[in-house]
Amino acid sequence: ISWHSMSLPPSERPGERRGAEMKKLYGGDAAKVQGMETAMQLTFDRNCDKKQPKYWPVIPLKL
Amino acid sequence: SPRFIALCPTTISASSETGTDSVQIREEQRARSALRESFLRTLIAMTNKQVQFHMHERVKVEAKFGASDIDVLNVQVSELHTPIGVQKEALLRCQDVISYSFDL
Amino acid sequence: METWRQLKPLEWWKYVNKEVKVTAHDKQQHHGWVFTVDPVSASIVLVTFQEKGGTSTVRVVTGHAVQEVEVLQEGNEETAGRLRVIFTPPGAQALGP
Repeated sequence: ISWHSMSLPPSERPGERRGAEMKKLYGGDAAKVQGMETAMQLTFDRNCDKKQPKYWPVIPLKL
Repeated sequence: SPRFIALCPTTISASSETGTDSVQIREEQRARSALRESFLRTLIAMTNKQVQFHMHERVKVEAKFGASDIDVLNVQVSELHTPIGVQKEALLRCQDVISYSFDL
Repeated sequence: METWRQLKPLEWWKYVNKEVKVTAHDKQQHHGWVFTVDPVSASIVLVTFQEKGGTSTVRVVTGHAVQEVEVLQEGNEETAGRLRVIFTPPGAQALGP
């Protein structure tokens, strides 16, 4: 499978593309890794919605 | 996506699915999966733990670990003890962090 | 160590279960047994065990801050076993297939 086959039309949904990329990176374990990542991202998003954390420090230490 | 381009080694995109290349690709996928899964387990184990962060400019802070985004660019924490007081809810940028630790 | 972030998964894999000394950007050095290296961020997870059932410490050095990783000791079965169950509550089976 060539790199060009990864360049899919813009109509393609981002979720599908991520699934294909995950498969290339993680092979047979892609679904498991993706499941763990999704769960973690959901927790992060939910906590941020609920707690509205602000960046600390306000200005990055390292640019 | 940029993440994929950054992660995907040229070996995968440039080679065919046959012969020794595919064996090598599968080994690489297995190593990547095992490493990533263990790292995600580390982050999950950190949830609600007191974590110490060593940051740039010799800044050291402590907070209760909440969650991180999947690219580990931001860490959501609570009760952040900063040199100038406690911030109840905060986001730390991973770029600012050199290391972080917790006790089991 | 700019190249640390550019290593391939199989190269990071070689460090797993070994005892290393990591030098970070702030010149701080951390010793520990390598639990894993995140293939996305190149962050390295080190574990230090306390003898006689004391608390173990887990330290993550972020990938961008890793300057040097030096192997101090090869892995051994005993440590590999302790690392394998580090996030598993005592008495419980390790997760996974």
